[in-house]
Formats: sequence, C-alpha cells, structure tokens
Amino acid sequence: MNETSNIQKINDSYDAIVIGAGNGGLVAAAQLAMNGVKVLLLEQHNLPGGFATSFVRGRFEFEASLHELCDYGSTTDKGGIKSLFDDKFNLDAEFIEIPEAYRLILTDPGEDIDVTMPFGIENFLDAIEKEVPGSRNSVKNFFDLGKDILHATAYIGKSRGNPDQKVLMQEHSNFLKTTAYTVKEVQDALNMPEKARKILNAYWVYLGVPTNRVNFTIFATMVYLYVRRKAYVPKNRSHEYTTALDAKIREFGGDIEYNTKVEKILVENGKIIGVETVNGDKIKTNHVISNASPTLVYNKLISPKSEVPEIALKEINARTHGVATFVVYLGLNKTAEELGIKEYSYFIYNKGNTEELYYSLGKLETPNVQATICLNAAIPDCSPPGTCIISITSAFLHGVWDDVKSEDYFELKNKIAEELIDNFEKAIGASIKEHVEEIEIATPQTFARYTGTYNGIIYGYEPEPWDSFIPRLSCMKDEKHIEGLELCGGFGMRCHGYSSSMKDGETAGLLTLQDMIQKGEIKK
Amino acid sequence: MSKKENDKFIITVKSNTKDLFAFTKLIPNRKKRFQKASSEPITSDPMNELARKLHPRRQYLIVSEIKDETKTTKTIKLIPDPDSNTKELAYFRAGQYLSLKVKVNGISITRPYSVSSSPSEALNGFYEITIKKVEDGYLTKYIWDNWKINQKIISSEPNGFFYYESLRDKKEIVAIGGGSGITPFRSMAKEIAEGKLDIKKMTIIYGSSEEDDIIFYDELKELESKNPEKIKVVHVLSCEEVSLEGCEKGFINADIIKKYTDVNNSTFFICGPQIMYEFLDKEIEKLNLPLKRVRKEILGQIKDIVNYPGFPQDFAGKTFNIKVHVGNAIKEIPALATEPVLVAMERAGLTPPSKCRSGECGFCRSRLISGEIYIIPESDKRRAADKRFNFFHPCSSYPLSNLEIKVPRDA
Ligand SMILES: Cc1cc2nc3c(=O)[nH]c(=O)nc-3n(C[C@H](O)[C@H](O)[C@H](O)COP(=O)(O)OP(=O)(O)OC[C@H]3O[C@@H](n4cnc5c(N)ncnc54)[C@H](O)[C@@H]3O)c2cc1C
Ligand code: FES
Repeated sequence: MNETSNIQKINDSYDAIVIGAGNGGLVAAAQLAMNGVKVLLLEQHNLPGGFATSFVRGRFEFEASLHELCDYGSTTDKGGIKSLFDDKFNLDAEFIEIPEAYRLILTDPGEDIDVTMPFGIENFLDAIEKEVPGSRNSVKNFFDLGKDILHATAYIGKSRGNPDQKVLMQEHSNFLKTTAYTVKEVQDALNMPEKARKILNAYWVYLGVPTNRVNFTIFATMVYLYVRRKAYVPKNRSHEYTTALDAKIREFGGDIEYNTKVEKILVENGKIIGVETVNGDKIKTNHVISNASPTLVYNKLISPKSEVPEIALKEINARTHGVATFVVYLGLNKTAEELGIKEYSYFIYNKGNTEELYYSLGKLETPNVQATICLNAAIPDCSPPGTCIISITSAFLHGVWDDVKSEDYFELKNKIAEELIDNFEKAIGASIKEHVEEIEIATPQTFARYTGTYNGIIYGYEPEPWDSFIPRLSCMKDEKHIEGLELCGGFGMRCHGYSSSMKDGETAGLLTLQDMIQKGEIKK
Repeated sequence: MSKKENDKFIITVKSNTKDLFAFTKLIPNRKKRFQKASSEPITSDPMNELARKLHPRRQYLIVSEIKDETKTTKTIKLIPDPDSNTKELAYFRAGQYLSLKVKVNGISITRPYSVSSSPSEALNGFYEITIKKVEDGYLTKYIWDNWKINQKIISSEPNGFFYYESLRDKKEIVAIGGGSGITPFRSMAKEIAEGKLDIKKMTIIYGSSEEDDIIFYDELKELESKNPEKIKVVHVLSCEEVSLEGCEKGFINADIIKKYTDVNNSTFFICGPQIMYEFLDKEIEKLNLPLKRVRKEILGQIKDIVNYPGFPQDFAGKTFNIKVHVGNAIKEIPALATEPVLVAMERAGLTPPSKCRSGECGFCRSRLISGEIYIIPESDKRRAADKRFNFFHPCSSYPLSNLEIKVPRDA
C-alpha cells in the first residue's frame, strides 16, 4: 500500500460511532466519550455544528441559524441546556442574554399590531393585559399549563418512563388533558381573546406549524421556557459552543473525523455491524447514533436495503416533513442605533392567522413571514465599530423549491431576498439597503449543501398532537427497529429546535450507554 | 371552560372524559396512522440534487483547447471528462474561481484560477481559464512543459465572493485589473454583453507592463465597441515607450481612476498581482471610499513573505519539523519558516484540503496541537471561536517553531 492511501486511514473499529456533528450528534458523542466509551464522531463537513455554525464574510462573522437558545437560563434559574453545558460538560462557551422577548409587527391594514413583549412571566402578563385588556387571566393559565407540563415530564423522566398512573391522574391532570390537543383547542378552552393569541402565538414560526395543528404540549412549554428563562445567544456565534463541544469530546478521549461522509450504515440480521464512508473506510461497530434524520437513515443509509424495516418507511411517510428556511444575512456599515433598529428579535407577518401564514409558505414567492434579528442588540460588539449584523429568516414548505434550476437560482434568491429586505424596511421604517456591505443568502439548497439534510429541511417532522414529543418519547422502544441504532437531533424524539436537539443527543447517548452496559460491552 | 380548585387552575379542554379519552387514544391512533401509511421509499431529494449541481465537490474535466493569448499567457478550455461522472458543469457567478487539483511530478497541489469565460458558457459545456506563466512558478512551468489537449484535471466547484451583487453594489462598477487579474472581468464583461448582468456601466481600467502583455486586447475592444453604453476599457501601460493610442501611462492611480469614473457612484472591483495591490491600496485610500464599495479579490499565497510587514524576519532560512496527524497516521515533515504550512504538507506528498490558498475559504481548517505560527493578519479570516480553540488555516500560516497539527483528510 502506498503512503498516501495509508495516511488516509482511520481506526477500523469503535465501540460506538456517531454520524453527524450537529447539535444532537455533538452532545451524544460527548456523553459517550465522557463515560469512557471509545467513540468516533464522523462529520461530512469540515466543521462541527451542522446548522449551528457561523461563517465569515469581509469583516463580519454571521450566525448561520440560531435566533434564540431556549431553556438556557441564568445561574439562579438554570435551564436544561445550561445544566448540560456547565454542570455535565463544564463547557468553555459564553452565552449572552437577549434583551426582550420579541417585537411583533402585523403589516396588513386592519391588523394593527406592533408590540414589543418583555421576558419574565409577570412582565409579559402586564404587557399583554395592557395591549389586550381582559386577557391576563387566560394567558396566565396558558403559562401555568406550560409549567405543569414541565413538572409532569420531569416526573415521567424520573420514573424512567414508568409513571404511576395514579400520580399522573392526581397531580398531573393538566398535562394528561392537554397532551392530545392543538394550541387552538386549548386556547379556545382558555377563552383567550383573539388579539392576545395573535401576540402570544408570534412564536409559531419556531415550530413552523400553525396553531390549529401544532401540539399544545410542545408549544406551551417552549413559550413558557422562553418567557420564564429568557433566551440566550452564544457570544461568538454557535461555532463557539460547537467547537467547545468538539474540544470536550477529544478531551474525554473521543475521536472526530471531519470531511468524512458516512455512505452506509451496515446492518446484518437486524443488528448494526458497522459503517462505510465515502473515503472508503469500513469501520466495525455495534452501536451507531445517527444525527442524520430517519428519512435519510432508512431511505439512503441502511445497507443492504433488505435490512430496512417496512414499518420504518411507513413511519416516515405518515409524517409531514417540516419547513425549509431562507435566510438573508446582512453586514451593514451603520450601527443599529443609527438605523433605528432597537430590538433583537422581530416577528413580521402580514396577518395574525397562523394557518394563512403557513399556507403562504407553500408558494415560490416571497413569504409574508419573517423572523428578523439584529445580533448587535444582544451583543453590541459582535461586529466592528460602526456596523451591525441583521439576519432575516423566512421559510418555505417542504418541496416548494423542488423545480428550481441552477441557472435561475441566483436571480430567484436575490429577488426574494430583496423583497424580504423591503418588507423589513417598511415594517420598521428604517432604510438599510444602501448600507449593505456584505450580503449572503441561504436557501433550502444552501442548507442541503452544507449539511446534507433531506431536501434542505431545517425543522424535523411537524409536531402535531399525534407526533409531538410525548407520543414520540412514549413509543421510543416500539419505534426502535434496528439493534444498536439510535437517532437524535431535530427529527428526533423531542422535535426540533436547538435545545430539543441537544437534549435528544444526550438521551441517545445515555440509551446507547445503557445498552452497552446491559450487554456487558463496557463496565459501568 | 376551566375552573379553579384549591387555587390551582385545572383545565378542561372539551370535557373531562373526552380529554382523558383523547389522551388514551393518542398512541393507538399513532400506530394506526403508521400502519396505514405507504411503505414506498423516498428516492428523490431535489435540494441535495441542486446542491450537487451548483456545488459539486469535484468536477472531472479535460483540456479541450489551448490558446496562446500573449507570450506568457494561455487560455485553456475545459470540458467535462467523457470518461467521468461529470456530465455538466456547475453554473457560477462571473468573477468566481475554480480550484484545480493537479499532480505535478507526482505531487498533488491545488491552484485557484478565476473563470474567464461567462456563466452561460458553462451551461454550454465549457469553462475557460487564462493562466499567466509565473517566473519560478511550480504549476505554471509544468503546464507550459506538459499540458496538452485531453489533459485530465480535477476541479472544485466554482468558489469565492468576488462577484457583482445587485443588493450590495452600485449599478456602475469599476474593474481595476492588473496582468492576469483581468480574467474575472472578462467573465463579467461577457455576461454584460449577453444582457445577463444587470448593471448600468462597467469601466475596466487594466494595467499591463507593455502592449504585448495585454491579455484579451482584441476581445475587450470588441466588447467595448459592441456595447459602448455599458462597457468602457482603459489601458494603462507602465513601460517607458508606449505606442498604443488612447492609453494611460504609468501605474493605475487615483487621478486616472477619477478621470474615467464616477467615483462616488461606483463600486470598485480590484484584481491583480500583489505588487499592484501594494501600490493601489494607497491610491484607493485617496478616494475615500467606504469599504462596501471596494471589493478586492484574494491574492493567493503571499510572495516574498520575508519582507512582508510584520513577518518576523529573523526566521528567514529557518526550518522546522511538523508532526502531522491525518486520520490515524502521523507523519513528520520538514517545513521552512518562509513557506505556508500547506505547502510544506504538499511537498511532503500529503494531500491536505485547500481551495483559495488565501486564508479566506476555510477549507484547509486544521488544528494546532502545539507550536507557534505566524498568521498574516490581513488573511486571518478565521471564525472567532477557531482563534480561541487553536484552529488555523495552513494556507496562510507559517511555522515559527516545531509544530504538531491535526489536518482533516481531503474531502
Ligand atoms: C482567487 C484567485 C484567482 C486567480 N486567478 C488566476 C487567473 O485567472 N490567472 C492566473 O494566471 N493566475 C490566477 N491566480 C494565481 C494562480 O492561482 C497561481 O498562483 C499562479 O498560476 C502561480 O502558480 P505557480 O504554481 O506556477 O506559481 P507559484 O504558486 O508561485 O509556485 C511556486 C510555489 O510552489 C511551491 N512549490 C515549489 N516546489 C514545490 C513542490 N515540490 N511541492 C509543492 N509545492 C512546491 C512554492 O513554495 C511556491 O509556493 C489566481 C489566484 C487566486 C487566489
Ligand atoms: S485554502 Fe482557503 S483558507 Fe486555506
């Protein structure tokens, strides 16, 4: 064998292999490595993070996808992610609190909403009562339900998935009685005024499913956690904590190989036996955690095809793939103050009806939906003095971009980007276009390019009541089809979002660990 | 409807029984949905397909024509290698470059070349690159001696950010080129002539040392005469004796720029050799342009690094050892303090990833395990966290001690 091919080799056997260094995969690999498992993390790109990354253009470093990290919290009210980072991994990464919850602007004549909502349950209630007199109680009840659901899920977690039915009935009935419903159904029962709903439901884009279909449990806990624990962003973009996780994994004794795309997950008699990469590596293992989605795993990666369980394909086909995003990143040569941009997070919709908004994402036209952030409002020095960074995010339903041709691509994305900028300018009355020093535009194609995600989708399967995190977690044993295979990430058991994906990675790591201990493959 | 009990709010969504019933039916209903669903595998993935078309990791090409432009430049036409999987060429934005991966005397290297043909020509099945022979050049010497028709070449997808961007740039652009730096502008001018680049006017100010060195002289003239409203070409010659009519003499400076352009309503694109940048930077400064209106193409490997301001000159002539980890292999290689770590690796027969060779693209991103390096500040385009966690770009970093590094395998 000659020197070059020799040098292109990596070890040929590991206790466990994690496919993909996104939010889920990084945490899964860190969890395993921390417990002494000989783990290899394989990533097709040359960076960690997946969507949780950044990129440099000129003198700006842009955040690729994160708007607000949920469930991080403060030292006095620590959230799940802060516990994971600080207490479990002792991670070297800094997070900054975002100043306000959001500013919501509805632009259609007659909609008449332009409000800035604060963090903190009481502050939020005061603000919404002021905006919609008489709404306080229904919104308070909404938050109380969110809190009760979190208590219930904590209890179920503690019971290791075997809760006492009596305790559930007596202490967690609010959880039981809302789990099967949509946001709309519960908000109807709460008699929440229409206008209060429009304000409170501004967060719908973070799940990408309208309130008449999105499950109440996941939405209420998300909104409750944002408002209670506030939202955070990494000081130096997501690349900071993902790189810190990369460093941790290595410190714990794990291996990482970038530029190494897994082509096949090898299965024999229903059991994982190894993986094959595009670089020609054949690596033996009995345990794989895939941060690549079930859609990719069962349709593309499992080899031979005869090992793909029919039910796995049915599960995928029964679900609805979530939205793909479109992002305009702008480095501006004026400060946010000079431009009159005060808030961090703007939700700008033409209407308050989320169902209409959702369907408007189904056309290859500029959506009237945008979630725009100005990073400098949270981190004033995130760009050089005299400048600021703005990113405008919109979305498209799965499949909308399918027929776009490469020769039309640049023109199309510029047109949509321009209209999104126009809409932002109109909504907040600022003029930013003439100050664009750097611009980058990411489309569903871009997200597919950098992460390989199926059809450019950035959110996982839509969390309707039947497929939200409670049913997914409850069915995890039944829906595990291949011995030694766990999945994690935005298409995972906790549905999408940064914090959900990371917690899901932790769970996948722990499940694999448990399996290895049971099989006597590693010592406790 | 909802009620209050012992101060604790208890929800009823539809009715107590209905709510609990709905909960108990949740999982059975889920299973039913799954059972009813199709078991057809999903075989199409249009966005990944489009990504492969726009950004193929590799394009397998062959040389189909070689044309001498001047004594020291050749235009090389590249088409898909019929023996490969490359059936069509990736579309691009005029101004972008290809990173060619080539073997020179058994050693694998990359070199970036701007595409000099227009984007629509890629759709018609070819790219052109125009290469200037470099004195003591490694690849260019090899090309002059060895490349013939049908030479096989591996190329990256089109790369780089040196292109006209309607949402950022003025409708009037000034293209300042020197030597082979005219190549991206030929691509842009052709696209304008094809009516596809929506700009009002492109003024090309092109510096050459003498008349014989002007690349694309006739072609530029034709583009200009056919599109008098949109394209204007000004030649600037630095030699002593100039016979060319209507040209400027000397180096491109602020006065020449002011004479031919509407300075305050233009975006400037600059592409040329390092010496031109060194001179031009001061001239551009005189024009007081905001950064946004000055787009500079990256330089590639810095020439004469020893005399680069800031480089620790006492390191000239020193050699060090680099312990390179690639995959699970370890290789010890020698390295000159005056050569980028990337070049040391290539010389040693390694095939590290690289594209821009200028610090910009991040494709060569590697981890510094131990040792000291010099990084050209202007080329330090690393992410903030990479700086903190000791990742570096070997293409623009020089060893100042023995090093230990971890390099990803080539993608
Ligand atoms: C974005 C961009 C676009 C460009 N576009 C064009 C263009 O359109 N036209 C054009 O002509 N040029 C272009 N260039 C420049 C081009 O990429 C090359 O730098 C140029 O052709 C010189 O190549 P060379 O190998 O002949 O010379 P050099 O790169 O100067 O060759 C010497 C180099 O080879 C190294 N070397 C010497 N011996 C060895 C060895 N044994 N193994 C490995 N390395 C060795 C030396 O260290 C030195 O770095 C562009 C550059 C950039 C960055
Ligand atoms: S090759 Fe582009 S940064 Fe090194």
